Amino acid sequence: MAKKILLIEDEEVLSNLLNRKLEESGYEVTVAFDGEEGLAIMKKQKPDLILLDIVMPKMGGFEVMENMNRTPGLELKQLPVIVVSNSGQPVEIDRALELGIRDYLIKTQFDPQEVVDKVKKILG
Amino acid sequence: MPEMSNKKKQFNEKDYEILLAEMDKTAKLLVRRDLELNRVNAELDKKIYQLKEDENKLKEMNDVLEIRLQAKTRELRENLSSLDHQIGERTRKLENSKVALMNILEDFRKQKILTEEEQKKNLAIINNFPDGLLIFDNENRLSIINIKAKEYLGISQMDYLYHESLSAENIPEFKNLMGIIGKDIKNVYKQELVIGPELIIEVSVQEYSEKGIKYGKFVILHDITREKKVQSLKSEFVSIAAHQLRTPLSAIKWTLTSLLDGDFGKLNDEQMKYLGKTNLSNERMINLVDDLLNLSRIEEGRYIYRTTVASMENIINAAIKSTELKAKEKNIKISVKLDKNLPDIVVDEEKIKLVVQNLIENAINYSQKKGSVNITAKNDADKRELVFSIKDSGIGIPEEQKSRIFSKFFRAENAVRAETVGSGLGLFIDKNIIEAHKGRIWFESSLNKGAIFSFCIPYDKKDEQFFDKF
Repeated sequence: MAKKILLIEDEEVLSNLLNRKLEESGYEVTVAFDGEEGLAIMKKQKPDLILLDIVMPKMGGFEVMENMNRTPGLELKQLPVIVVSNSGQPVEIDRALELGIRDYLIKTQFDPQEVVDKVKKILG
Repeated sequence: MPEMSNKKKQFNEKDYEILLAEMDKTAKLLVRRDLELNRVNAELDKKIYQLKEDENKLKEMNDVLEIRLQAKTRELRENLSSLDHQIGERTRKLENSKVALMNILEDFRKQKILTEEEQKKNLAIINNFPDGLLIFDNENRLSIINIKAKEYLGISQMDYLYHESLSAENIPEFKNLMGIIGKDIKNVYKQELVIGPELIIEVSVQEYSEKGIKYGKFVILHDITREKKVQSLKSEFVSIAAHQLRTPLSAIKWTLTSLLDGDFGKLNDEQMKYLGKTNLSNERMINLVDDLLNLSRIEEGRYIYRTTVASMENIINAAIKSTELKAKEKNIKISVKLDKNLPDIVVDEEKIKLVVQNLIENAINYSQKKGSVNITAKNDADKRELVFSIKDSGIGIPEEQKSRIFSKFFRAENAVRAETVGSGLGLFIDKNIIEAHKGRIWFESSLNKGAIFSFCIPYDKKDEQFFDKF
């Protein structure tokens, strides 16, 4: 059975490109365009991995992660999260690592293929 | 008569003779008396003469005496006037001395007033200084506390500037401050003390001494509330700006790389070539934005962030890997020679990697095609430093522009001609990173004969304030 990935990303181009790559690699992808939507989806149907943007409308990535850690079953310890963000200031990276993320990727430093490779490393 | 005659007649011869004899006797006597008188007279004359003589002598003597007296008087008078003169002179001199003394006394008085005024002024300066100041003596007892310090620490009961050596540790208002500086007023530098949401203080301790004599320490309390606010606003702005700039850049990058990967079908050679070039231009834009971000972080003083034990070999290899494409494109050969006993260094690994990467990129960018780049890393065991060097066969640096090569936004003329794109921030950032690690960066170069850039980083990291600049 295909592993389920929840992609929370407000930028349509990036979302589409990544979605396409992940599906090609055999994953089942659900897409959310903001944090609120993402949180609602993962509560209904728990994914195997989450790709999470930080700066988004309605609810940002950090709020999503804090929410997850407060929700039994969705804690970052259990549910692997890879942050894919445009901004990558050390304070932000540290804060995200403290919350329990698996990896922090800065969009300008990685291309879609490298993101998919990171996902593969975690999900096998 | 008859009697007479009688008498006469009575005189006899004998009587006559007697008379005569008597008469003779009397005459003799008279003569004698006369003679005697004459003698006496002569004697008297003589006496008179003598007297006269004596008188003359006396007169003469008197004259001499008179003359002498006059001379003496003159002399005396002269002496007197000279004395008068001398006394006058003395008096004048004394007067002068007195005036001089009075002047000196006056000067002293003025000096004293000036000194007192100066002291008052100094105290007023201390008291009204815009930073909080606390002055401790050699026994670590508080002697002076100014208005701002009292205000910052919320002290109202201490009315006076001066205090008879006060033990600060017993005063509750000092508790937070003493938590930073300790009982023994240890040297701290720019330590933050959060007093409230609207008051953040930076605490520094400075010893004060003159010509080797220590007088004590003063504690400076500097209000950085505003700076902190500006800093966070700037940080916020940079974060937003970077996000805004990076969003389209990452969309372009992802689209281009997907296209180049053949995700949307195989591309022909021409498409590959142009999309490849576009991708490289986009990468440059990404680097420019990153440089600006780095610059703003350097200026905010929070650039060196996370230090770990790192291997220089790994850093060099990672940096070479990220520049591989560029080197390949220009057909430049990169050779690496490392000492076998390279020690590990405690650094912000990402930042040191950025320095090495910058230097390699510069070496490639400013070299002709088919050039060569040689990298070495050595262990200077004497200085306990790790020395990195990179030598290129590029355009070199013009002599007159060497002094500005590490300046912000500066690019040498020949560099601008050789490579139009460049922020002029790379070496500025490199220098800041290396110096934040207590290292040095330098170069040797002559025009058209390439350049050697080197940096060294000390690998003993005992110093607590190792990264104090950032």
